[in-house]
Amino acid sequence: MAVDLSMDVLVVDDYKTMVRIITNLLKQLGFENIDDAADGKEALAKMKDGKKYGLVISDWNMEPMTGYELLREVRGDDGLKTTPFIMVTAESKTENVIAAKKAGVNNYIVKPFNAATLKGKIAAVLGDF
Amino acid sequence: MTAANEAAEKVRGAIASLKENNVQDRPLVEVLELSHQLADAMKYFFGSLDQTIQGEFRYIADFISKARDEISELRPNDIRETRIPGASIELDAVVKDTEQATETIMSEAEAIMSADASDPEAYKAQVDEAMMRMIEACSFQDLTGQRVSKVVTTLRHIEERVAHFAVALGVEDSSNQEETEEDRRKRELLLNGPALDGPETAQDDIDAMFAEGGEEVGQDDIDALFN
Repeated sequence: MAVDLSMDVLVVDDYKTMVRIITNLLKQLGFENIDDAADGKEALAKMKDGKKYGLVISDWNMEPMTGYELLREVRGDDGLKTTPFIMVTAESKTENVIAAKKAGVNNYIVKPFNAATLKGKIAAVLGDF
Repeated sequence: MTAANEAAEKVRGAIASLKENNVQDRPLVEVLELSHQLADAMKYFFGSLDQTIQGEFRYIADFISKARDEISELRPNDIRETRIPGASIELDAVVKDTEQATETIMSEAEAIMSADASDPEAYKAQVDEAMMRMIEACSFQDLTGQRVSKVVTTLRHIEERVAHFAVALGVEDSSNQEETEEDRRKRELLLNGPALDGPETAQDDIDAMFAEGGEEVGQDDIDALFN
């Protein structure tokens, strides 16, 4: 199945430069509708605001709501729980990966990463480009 | 038996004697004798007490004096007023330098990505100029390296002085330090931060957990990650 490049993608990171990097990479991959949020709380508010995101790419370590908390909120919400969710984070301890996997994350990328890794993980979650 | 005890014994004996007889019938000289013995007892008692307290106070005073000297050696005012603010300013500058460089590099890269490539010559000139500005922006690394070096020197200075202070005063770490709210949050939400020298779990190992058929995390997968 080919990826729907017109879907809404939400990038969640408190570091503006990282939002910009991921956004640019997504644009290079062909995604047209990219939104962003500075932490889990803002992201959750946007997700509950009516727009249906086809993919969430989130950092882990953010305040006041972390990406891990966002993931658990999303998976616990009947209206949002099927949203594909990729964690992109510097948290690389095994316990983090296992916790995210158990919480229902679809894929996990450790920083620093490259465009090929991001593309590969999106393809693994959404289908081929 | 100490002098204080002997005096107290005499007082007790005198009181017992007075109780056995009617105190009003005793000659005044005996009451005065009792008062005298009581005064002696009090003198000995407080004398011995004073010596003990004086010894304790002398020890405490010496300790405070030594601590004051050690704190002086620690140069807390220098650390508080100069070194810590200085390190803080350097770190702020590192963040600022890094942000400026990143902004320049990102902007140049975005400009190239959106550039019109229909005229190859003009496009090449634009790319060359952008590349040169990106290379120039990378010079921030030299500055940030020097700034971080100054901060590290400050931290080492503080570390050495605090360590010397702890040894001089025989200070040991408290074993039952309470977990702060911040510590609890970090522990519960697995906020470990980036690892040194690359990620602790390699992307390939993570990929293996998310590979087809790996929907559930098996014990073997977990074991493999810990091996």
